[in-house]
Amino acid sequence: MAYSGVRPTTRSRAMVSETRHLLFTVAPGAVWIVIFLVLPSAYLMSVAFMSTGIYGLPELPLSLESFRRLAGFGFLGWSPGNIYTLLRSLWQTLVSTALVMVVAYPIAYYITTCRERWRPIMLLLVVVPSWTNQVIRTFGWMNLLAPGTPLANLAELVGFIPPNMGLYPSNFAVTLGLVYNFLPFMVLPLYAAFEKLDTAQVQAAQDLYASPVRAFWHAVFPQTLPGLLAGTVLVAIPAFGMYVIPELLGGGKGMMLGNLVANQFAGSANWPLGAAGAILMLIATFIGLFAMRRIGKRLGGGEEVVI
Amino acid sequence: MKKRTLRRGLTAIWWLILIFLYLPLAVVVLFSFNSANSAASFTGVSLRWYKRLMGNEEILSALSNSLILAIVSSAVALVIGCLIGYGMYRHRHRKLGWLIVLIYLPIVLPDIVFGISEMAFFVQIHRMTGLLQPGLGTMIIAHVTFQIPFVALIVYSRFVGLDPTLFEAAKDLYASPAQRAFHFMLPTIKPALISAFFLSFTLSVDDFVISFFTAGPDSATLPIYIWGAIKKGVSPEINAIATLMIGAVTIAAILSLLFSHRRQP
Repeated sequence: MAYSGVRPTTRSRAMVSETRHLLFTVAPGAVWIVIFLVLPSAYLMSVAFMSTGIYGLPELPLSLESFRRLAGFGFLGWSPGNIYTLLRSLWQTLVSTALVMVVAYPIAYYITTCRERWRPIMLLLVVVPSWTNQVIRTFGWMNLLAPGTPLANLAELVGFIPPNMGLYPSNFAVTLGLVYNFLPFMVLPLYAAFEKLDTAQVQAAQDLYASPVRAFWHAVFPQTLPGLLAGTVLVAIPAFGMYVIPELLGGGKGMMLGNLVANQFAGSANWPLGAAGAILMLIATFIGLFAMRRIGKRLGGGEEVVI
Repeated sequence: MKKRTLRRGLTAIWWLILIFLYLPLAVVVLFSFNSANSAASFTGVSLRWYKRLMGNEEILSALSNSLILAIVSSAVALVIGCLIGYGMYRHRHRKLGWLIVLIYLPIVLPDIVFGISEMAFFVQIHRMTGLLQPGLGTMIIAHVTFQIPFVALIVYSRFVGLDPTLFEAAKDLYASPAQRAFHFMLPTIKPALISAFFLSFTLSVDDFVISFFTAGPDSATLPIYIWGAIKKGVSPEINAIATLMIGAVTIAAILSLLFSHRRQP
């Protein structure tokens, strides 16, 4: 009992020193991220609610003009340009994510069926191209799709494009660029899912005389869902905000939301409009993350599903 | 029989995908040695585009900017990220949800939002205080911001992989905190630190969007220079710089892989 007065103080002193230790180690980074990322994004969000001043810079008073402009209402009445850009971004994200899934699925499976010592090398081969700069990779596609190249000639022969045209700029080229860019992001989580695959379930399905299709659908596919889901997060979110690929391969008619936003901070300056577009992108990102998390939890994958 | 056709089909898909993945890079490398100024036909091997690079002041300054940016930002991120990684490990039994959110923020934020947020913020701060003029300084700040999470997560996972009794042993032997840090922890996580540094370096060289929006007029990096050259009209010189960058990043990334796979006793 004599210690009863002392014990809480020593414990709280230990707590204080532990907390101080935590702060000492974590504070530099936390403060850095708050000052150089949280504050800037908060500032950008506030810009969306300001009115447009001289040189397109933000000004008080507050207004919702930027959101009206984003929806297409301008000086000359309503125009569908921005809505088209938005729909195109959604469409490109959807199509490229689906295509990446279709291509990555057999590849990830194939790697798991190969000999164990080859697997890391095969994964490496899939990933290495994504280590080079995005601008360079996209430039590579510009070289391949330009007028007069074998691919463009072939497309011309088939009647896919009119004569003497290249395969870019076009929406097709943007989709191709997106699939190329994001393929490794889908292969890696899918490979992880296939590697953990419980083959006993497949065996059980076969013992119960399930057809190969049914066995796949009921015994294999559900087990790879967490991988597919993680891949979808890694592909769809950055694809929706893509800037480089539509800028280089898309041209004016292939513009996506990222280009709309970026343009407001460069040539045709209108910061509030750009910031409103950025808010839209953030909302889409967080809805995407949240939805994937919800589905992931229902699947039993839990936290690991998100990254 | 059915199994064999399936397997053949998969093998065929695998090789097609490899071609798809490497064709754009192969074309860049191939045409960097083209003697003609053409992206459509290869006329002969020559090194003229590489020779032209050597005399180009702009490219040399872009190269040095890229290197300074990558080295300085990776070094700063290594120190800050390493501290966070250790803090997360030591206090892993506490509720650190806020810290996890903060660390994942730079990873999940779309590049373009990240880039323009910083640019808008830097421009405003500069107008109000005269500090943070867009240039290499602001680029270093931006790069460190997206490198910190990766360093922290690598260091954290290395600590988690260690035997916790090692920490007790160091304490029982009356090692001071500084001795513990320099004679036990840092040497033990050295492979993780090296791989984190290489990863940060690669991320920095690989980044275009964030650099593009935080750069000043004199701080163009190689990707920014290439971007400008593409926008002005394709020149074969781009193939030559791009080839050099493909080579350099591949070497750096392979080094990082070697270090992260080497297990220490």
